[in-house]
Order: sequence, then C-alpha cells, then structure tokens
Amino acid sequence: MVSLPCFHQYSHVRSVGFSKKIQHLKKFSNWIHVTKEGGSFYSELFKSFSLICLCVVFRPFHVEHRNIVENEPSERVSAEASVLSSRVHYYSRLTASSDRLLSPPDHVIPCQEELYVYSPLGMAFKVTGGDGGAKNPSIITIFAIWNTMMGTSILSIPWGIKQAGFTLGIVLLISMGLLTLYCCLRVLKSPKSIRKTISTYIDTSDWEFPDVCKYYFGKFGQWSSLVFSMVSLIGAMVVYWVLMSNFLFNTGKFIYMICPFPNTHLPPPVICPFPDTGDHKGNSGISGLYLNTNNYGNDTSDTAVFDRWWSKTNTIPFYLIILLLPLLNFRSASFFARFTFLGTISVVYLIILVTLKAIRLGFHLEFHWLESTQFYVPEFRLLFPQLTGVLTLAFFIHNCIITLMKSNKHQENNVRDLSVAYLLVGLTYLYVGVLIFSAFPSPPLSKDCIEPNFLDNFPSSDVLVFVARTCLLFQMTTVYPLLGYLVRVQMMSQVFGKHYPSFFHVFTLNIFIVGTGVCMAKYYPNIGSIIRYSGATCGLALVFVFPSLVHMISQKRRGELSWPSAIFHSLLIVLGVANVAGQFFM
Amino acid sequence: NLFSDNRHWGLRRVVLLMGKSGSGKTSMRSIIFANYIARDTRRLGATIDVEHSHVRFLGNLVLNLWDCGGQDTFMENYFTSQRDNIFRNVEVLIYVFDVESRELEKDMHYYQSCLEAILQNSPDAKVFCLVHKMDLVQEDQRDLIFKEREEDLRRLSRPLACTCFRTSIWDETLYKAWSSIVYQLIPNVQQLETNLRNFAQIIEADEVLLFERATFLVISHYQCKEQRDAHRFEKISNIIKQFKLSCSKLAASFQSMEVRNSNFAAFIDVFTSNTYVMVIMSDPSIPSAATLINIRNARKHFEKLERLDGPKHSLTMRMR
Repeated sequence: MVSLPCFHQYSHVRSVGFSKKIQHLKKFSNWIHVTKEGGSFYSELFKSFSLICLCVVFRPFHVEHRNIVENEPSERVSAEASVLSSRVHYYSRLTASSDRLLSPPDHVIPCQEELYVYSPLGMAFKVTGGDGGAKNPSIITIFAIWNTMMGTSILSIPWGIKQAGFTLGIVLLISMGLLTLYCCLRVLKSPKSIRKTISTYIDTSDWEFPDVCKYYFGKFGQWSSLVFSMVSLIGAMVVYWVLMSNFLFNTGKFIYMICPFPNTHLPPPVICPFPDTGDHKGNSGISGLYLNTNNYGNDTSDTAVFDRWWSKTNTIPFYLIILLLPLLNFRSASFFARFTFLGTISVVYLIILVTLKAIRLGFHLEFHWLESTQFYVPEFRLLFPQLTGVLTLAFFIHNCIITLMKSNKHQENNVRDLSVAYLLVGLTYLYVGVLIFSAFPSPPLSKDCIEPNFLDNFPSSDVLVFVARTCLLFQMTTVYPLLGYLVRVQMMSQVFGKHYPSFFHVFTLNIFIVGTGVCMAKYYPNIGSIIRYSGATCGLALVFVFPSLVHMISQKRRGELSWPSAIFHSLLIVLGVANVAGQFFM
Repeated sequence: NLFSDNRHWGLRRVVLLMGKSGSGKTSMRSIIFANYIARDTRRLGATIDVEHSHVRFLGNLVLNLWDCGGQDTFMENYFTSQRDNIFRNVEVLIYVFDVESRELEKDMHYYQSCLEAILQNSPDAKVFCLVHKMDLVQEDQRDLIFKEREEDLRRLSRPLACTCFRTSIWDETLYKAWSSIVYQLIPNVQQLETNLRNFAQIIEADEVLLFERATFLVISHYQCKEQRDAHRFEKISNIIKQFKLSCSKLAASFQSMEVRNSNFAAFIDVFTSNTYVMVIMSDPSIPSAATLINIRNARKHFEKLERLDGPKHSLTMRMR
C-alpha cells in the first residue's frame, strides 16, 4: 500500500491563501491509499496528480467566482503564492511538527487581509480575527495599569511621608512618579527601537523586557533581570505574609474580644502601638491613651490563653501555612486571576475610609522646617531615602508594562495612556498619604507614631477598619497564589526549561518562599523596611539601570547618542545606585 | 577515526558545505537533499556532522557539512588538526554566509583560511559563496547589500574565482542557486542541452526537463512554447522529494512515474546515472509505450555521452 498526499495546489486564492499554522493545511489534505496493481494505481495516480500537473504545466488554478464567500473580483492564484505554499508544505515534511526550524517566519507570510482559507470543496473564507489579542480602549488599559500598580505599598505611603518630612515627602512623591514614568516609557519603547536599529527583521512582537535585556546583554542580562524580578516578587510575597498575619490577627481579635462586649470597649480613635520603641521619643508620659496589643499574662486567664494562641508574630504566621501552602501548589493560577476585582474594591474602600477618618479627626498640621518637636516631624528629614525606596516599589510595573500595553487598541496613544495611569496612581498615593499624615491627631500623639502599615494605627475594635482589614485579607489570599505562580513560572522555565518540572521541585520552591515569609513575620515584621529594601534593589536593575543602558546603547548603535542624553541617563543610573545605598545608610 | 577508511575516501570527491554555526547549512542540506532533520540537531550548536551523508550527488560526489569558526575550542582544535583530510579531494566548496551576522571581519577571516586550505589541498576546486537568509533583509536593500558582499568576496578570493549567490529558503533563490551550482558541475552540459533539444524535437514533446538524481535540481530543460509558471521546476522538485520521503518510510525507492489525463501525458523516469528526465507530451493520442521506448533509446545515447567525458565518470562506471 502506498499512501499519497493529495496536494493542495488549490489551497489558496488571490495572492496567498494559507494560514500560518501548517496544521490547518494538513486538515485539508487527504490521504489517498492506492494499491500497486497496474490499472488502479495509474487511475488513482491520475486522479491525484492530474490537477497538479495541470496547473504546473498549463495554467494556474482558477477559482470560480461563485465559490468565494467574500465578494471579491475573480480570484487567481499567483505564481509566488502557489510556490510558497508548495515550499511550506514540503518543509513541513522535513521536521517534526512541533519544531519551528522550518516554519515560515512572519515577514514571509503576507498580512492578515490577504489570507484566505480554502476548502477543497470550493469555498474560500477570509481569515478573520487578530492573533488572539483583544484590543481594549484606552480607558480600560489605563484602569488595568492602575489596578496592577496599586499594591500594598499604599499602606506605607503615610509612614514614608513621615520619614521624609511632609514637604519633602510630597516633592519626592511627585518627582519619583515622574522619574519612574520616564523609565517606564523607555521600557515600553525598547522592543521597537530594536526593530529600527538594524536592517533585518527580528520578531519582537511577544518580547517582554527581560527578552530585551537578553538581546542587549546576553545571558548576563537575562539572568540578572530574572534575579531582580524575583527580588521584587518574593519581597512582595513576604510583605503579603506579614500583612496577612497582621490582618488575620486583628480580625480574630475583633471577633473574639470586641464582638461579645460591644459597649465596654471605648478605645481612642487612633493609637500608637509601640510607644516605647526608640523611634518614638517623648511619648512615654501619655500612657493612658495607649492600647497594648500584645498583653502577656497581665489580664484574666481567658485573654492570656487567647493571646498565647492568637499572637501576631508567634502563632498566626504558622496558621497561615495551612491555608496558603496548598494554594501555592496548584498547577495553574487562572482560578485566582478571577478575583482581581477584589483589589479594586479594597483600594476604593481604603480611599473612602481615609476620607471618613480625615473628616472625623480633622487636620493637624504644623510646619517645622528643620527641627523636630515633641509632636511633629521636620519638613525635611535625612531619612528620605526610605520614602524613595517605598516609592520605587509603589510605582513599579516595568516588568509587565509591555504585555499590558499590547492590548491597547490605539497603540499610538500608549505614551499618553501610560502618563495618565501614572498620574492617577500618583494622585491616589498622594491623597492617601497626605490625608493620613495631616489627620493624624498630633497634640496627643506624635507624628512619629505613624506605622509602616497605617491601619495599625487604628485599634482592633474599629469597625470600619475591621472591614478594611477583612477585605484586604481576602484580597491578599487570592493574590498570593498568583504571585507564587509567577515566581514559579519564571524561575522554573529559566532553570529547568518547563513550568512544572515535578511536584517535588515546585514544593521545594514553595517551602522556601513560605519559610521566608514566616521568618520575616516572626522576627522582623516591619513592612516599611521590607518594601523599601526590595523596592530599591529591584528598582536598581529594572527601573534605573537597564532601561537607561538599553536606551543609550540603542541610540549609540543608530548613531544618535548625544551628550545631554548620555549625561541624563548616566545620572539616572547613579540615582538608582544612590537609592539602594541610601537604604542601607539611612 | 572518521578518516581512516581511506579506500573509500580516496575515490570519492567531496562537496564541502561550510559556514559559521547557525548560518543555515543544515536546513539547506535538508531542503535540497530531502533529509529529515531530527529535532535535536538544532540544539547541539555545532553540527557534528562529519560523516558522509549517504547521498551520492552527481554520481560520485559526497556532501560534507562543516561548521567553520565560532564554535567551541574542541571543534576548533579538531578542525585544525584534520584540515588536510577535510580539504582533500574537494570538488566543490560551498561557503555559506549569514547576511545578518554582526562579525563580518571574523567571517571573512574564516573564509580566507578555508580558501588557503583549498589552495593547498585541492587547488582546482570550484568555489561558491552563498549569502544566505536574505529574506531577513528589507526588500529595497537586498540588491545593495548583496552587491557589496559580492565585491568583497570576489576581492578576497583571489587568485581563486568564486561565484556568489544570494539565497533564502523562503524564495526561489535557493533552488536557483543550487541549480546553477549543479549546472556548472556537469562536465559537458552544453552538449547535453543540444542533445536534449534534439531529443525533444524528435519525440514531439512539449517540454523536457533534466533533473539531477538526488536533489531534483533542474540541470537543463527544453520547452517548445512559453510556459506561464516560472516556478514549476521548484514545485516539481518539492513534489517528487515529498514523494521520495514517503517512499523511504516503506523502504521503497522511487523509480518512475507516469501521469496522464485527457490533455497531456507526463513521464518521469531514470535517465542516466546522474539524472532523471521528465517528458511532457501534450498530444495524448501518442501511446505511452512509444514515448517510453523513445526514452529508453535516448538513455543509451546520453549514457554514451557521459562516458566520453572525464576519467572520473569512467571510474564510476567501472565501479558499477
């Protein structure tokens, strides 16, 4: 038995007519089985090859007008199209079907408008639809960017402003926003500048920024951008663990202690949780207003037992393991991606909460420019690198901006849309930061009391804040597995080549991540520090150094590098390094 | 040692396909010779493909692929130590340049060292340079870039004369370049063409094509009237090669084919030891047997023609 392929010389119309995936072609080719006996062999052969030889020797294949579904004038296969089709079909026999070595590259295949899929029955259908990417209007893109950027660093902005001083804090927020926006634009434009640099085609359509780094800096670029990306992701996961422990603690405390006795607890509206620590000077005299959230053995035995088993640093981080470690081991994270709306709701609720609190507490602002007083902090402080560290992570989206912007319908508006998104994010941060800082009741408490997580400044019994904490807890529980999935995918594909090498590998990675989170939650639950260190470190590479270097190199290759541009971008790199250095020295 | 089998090595003349690693030689060989590319070949980096491909090309020529330059030191050392063996008995050197390579200086340097080795070991080899992957260059710049490269290569190749082609596997240039190369390798090709024309006119054929046996590259053709499809040779070559791939899966080998309908009759058959012939008759009333007899008689005549030329061909005949 000899099987012959029925060649699809009649597989296209007009200038081309085949879809990119050869599998579509194979669907339309029939396999004819023939036998070796004389008469039937020749007749079968004749059937299958006559048409081919007809068009090969005499004239190209002609499609009847009435057989075409789209209303176009009479179609004729062009010689180039038919020979390209012949080549594609032949080359596909030479390699395995999954091997892309001999599959036609994009620039060889004509554009979408000229593609038809032709069935041997005589119908030709125009290929519709894009390459799968839905196109969104600008407003959706802007919202998606805002939603992705709004992370837990919003909780640390008031503390950051406090660390830098009110005026300096606002100035830094605006300038960091502008700087990171500029670097983000550089990241966004970097794949396009590759295409312009050389006269050859490289398909950069599905490249992310690490691919760009790999193109310019080789293996070093690929690995370093991966490492720094991991720093930001794992830093975020550790922060999440600390915050989740915090919120779970407060929620449990609310339910246990306050719900049964709604009238006996009348705590102050704002508290200073750690009055005796070194940071907060001069507050030890006003002890009546403080609520010690970690009582050990001073109260009745009930609360002592509760406090021992429900402790923010000792036990809750471990309870969370039971809840979250199984979620991390899921093979796919698409289930959790459905819950991104929770993040939006939480941020909106936080804004409303902040507004209500500000209305209730009123404004307490005094401007002391360089000296600190008992209740206020100076306007300009030397601790400002802590704010820049937090802001680097707050404005960080550089590792996925290219993918997010790809689905923008009008690509020419990318710069405008990104700027608007950054403006909105900056305004949100500014609003929350300034309101909390201003509304913090300074006569009884010092501004220095503002905690890295500003919700800590409200007692566990505050109902509004309890709702906020519960919302955020739920939202973080759904985002945490997503982050874990991102870490896993990036690390596993880089090191082992596939996303899920085996349960053992993935489990080990998850144990490591969870372990880091638990340790941090137990021994160093200061999210301000975690955010600023991880923010400054990953910002060094992905925000300041790589985009600037890439831009300068691509300009140099095009011969367009001018002195002002070189100086400006080198300055950006120096700023990035100074940002990291500042975290360690201040 | 791959070179220890001197008995066979000495009688075979070699076609060297060389170029930097990643320049497209394996794909080229696979496409021209209809060899299946196993998936892992691409991942190996340097093509460790020093064995003779079992394709006999133009009778007694054997194709050897070498990665020249740019790979690890192991291959470099092996290459340098085996230089004389590699470059002995070379009939043709085909050097492949990747048009988007960034290291032009280095490429030229390696090319020149290959030429030196050729001058030492096989001074009457023919040299062809292929500027490959031209589809990656934007269309309006292709001619310019190719002319530049051609001038440089001609200059560097002196005293040897090199013929340059620009190729890409995604257009007809690859097929045409290799057809030209094969055309120049056939010793008495003009005589072959005259005889082919006579043959065609005698049997009243519409078109007669002469293909090289292993690759189905068109060596020469005769047509009595204008044909509309300029790419028909490549298409036929692709069709037959696919058919050969299918046949090889059953350990069968392709020998001949006849296709006929109410408008025409086409015959593809073995012709001489190096060639296949394809005869197209537009008068279907002529019985197949007549044409087949004509082809058989012509075969004897053409074989005599081949035998008359060159000791290397007579060597082949005696070997059979």
